[in-house]
Amino acid sequence: MSSISAADIDHHHDPSTSTGIPNKKLLMWTFLASDCMFFGCLISTHLIYRLHPPPGVPAARQIFSIELTSFSTFILLMSSLMMALAVNAIQKGNLRSLRASILTTVLFGSIFLGCQVYEFHNFVYEKHLTITNSILGTTFFTLTGTHGTHVAVGVLWLVLMYIRSFKPAGAEAAKGTWLLFSFAHLVVFAATLILTGYVVLGVARAGQADGFNLKMIGTYAGAQYPALIATLIGFLGLRWFALPRGEVDFDQRNAVDVEMMGLYWHFVDIVWIVIFTAVYLLEYIS
Amino acid sequence: MSSPAAAASAHDHGHEENKFQIFVQIAMLLAVITGIEIITVYLPFASWLLIWTLVIFSAVKFLFVIFIFMHLRWDKPFCTILFFIGLFLGGGTMWALLKLFGAAASFPLSSVVK
Repeated sequence: MSSISAADIDHHHDPSTSTGIPNKKLLMWTFLASDCMFFGCLISTHLIYRLHPPPGVPAARQIFSIELTSFSTFILLMSSLMMALAVNAIQKGNLRSLRASILTTVLFGSIFLGCQVYEFHNFVYEKHLTITNSILGTTFFTLTGTHGTHVAVGVLWLVLMYIRSFKPAGAEAAKGTWLLFSFAHLVVFAATLILTGYVVLGVARAGQADGFNLKMIGTYAGAQYPALIATLIGFLGLRWFALPRGEVDFDQRNAVDVEMMGLYWHFVDIVWIVIFTAVYLLEYIS
Repeated sequence: MSSPAAAASAHDHGHEENKFQIFVQIAMLLAVITGIEIITVYLPFASWLLIWTLVIFSAVKFLFVIFIFMHLRWDKPFCTILFFIGLFLGGGTMWALLKLFGAAASFPLSSVVK
């Protein structure tokens, strides 16, 4: 399957379509153009109503954490780099590099989501800013929550593409075992991601309450050892699923699928570039 | 003397290597711009100047991502036109909403920022 050289495929043009652009890519650009209008409405609504904090609640500047948001922004930018490298890798037929880049993108996307969960939890339970108690809360949570949902969909898409890259070539793929194998792979991947998020957020909360030190980590590990063992088993399971099993049905010809996914992921990044400035940084200008 | 096919292959290889380097350099540049943005909000300059500086930085980051990471630079111009139609419609909607419901209210006010 991997006998095609990178020079054989033009990844930017498709002479078989009337526009010269691969149909899948055209579909994605059209969707992204429509999503611009969707996010444009959400961002402008927040900008208009952001000066209406609920009674008794400090202004947005006192609620936001610029350190956490800056870290999230940096992580999302780096995930965009890894996504670009993933597309570059599959265009050259480098499956190993593609998988490594996709996994790193999944990791960065999950860190971003973890930061958002932490931020929302902090806003609701400590800063008392909820989606229903003020216009600011409504517009903020709707905007950033919609963006977070886009990121979550992107992470799911990345995981599915990673699993797809293991599809065996030839008659093996026709058997029902591949469907079962890929479904089990997805379940293990999702469970491991959720468990890892649970453990990391738990450590962050424990550290925030008692300070980060070895005693805190030991106490947390003692109290949460079932979750830690399950996480470890999850990672071992993922390693087992990734073991080489012969020829796979995934090469440069699938580059347009990876590129489509990449376009979606980069769009999520550019939306965050605007949100970071319009929603967060603007509040710090006095 | 190398054959034309070998030369073309070497050219392709060089192009791909180049793309890898471009991606890494752009990512580093975006990280640096983000750092400058964070510093900018604490500078003791007029609000309008800081806001426009942030808008320009965001636009630069936005354009780098769509033209380099999203390959618009290498794709057919129709993709750029299609995306910019959506972008202008979205931007126009934002402008109209801010104009209709009071653009001044969206600037930071000293009475609110404590």
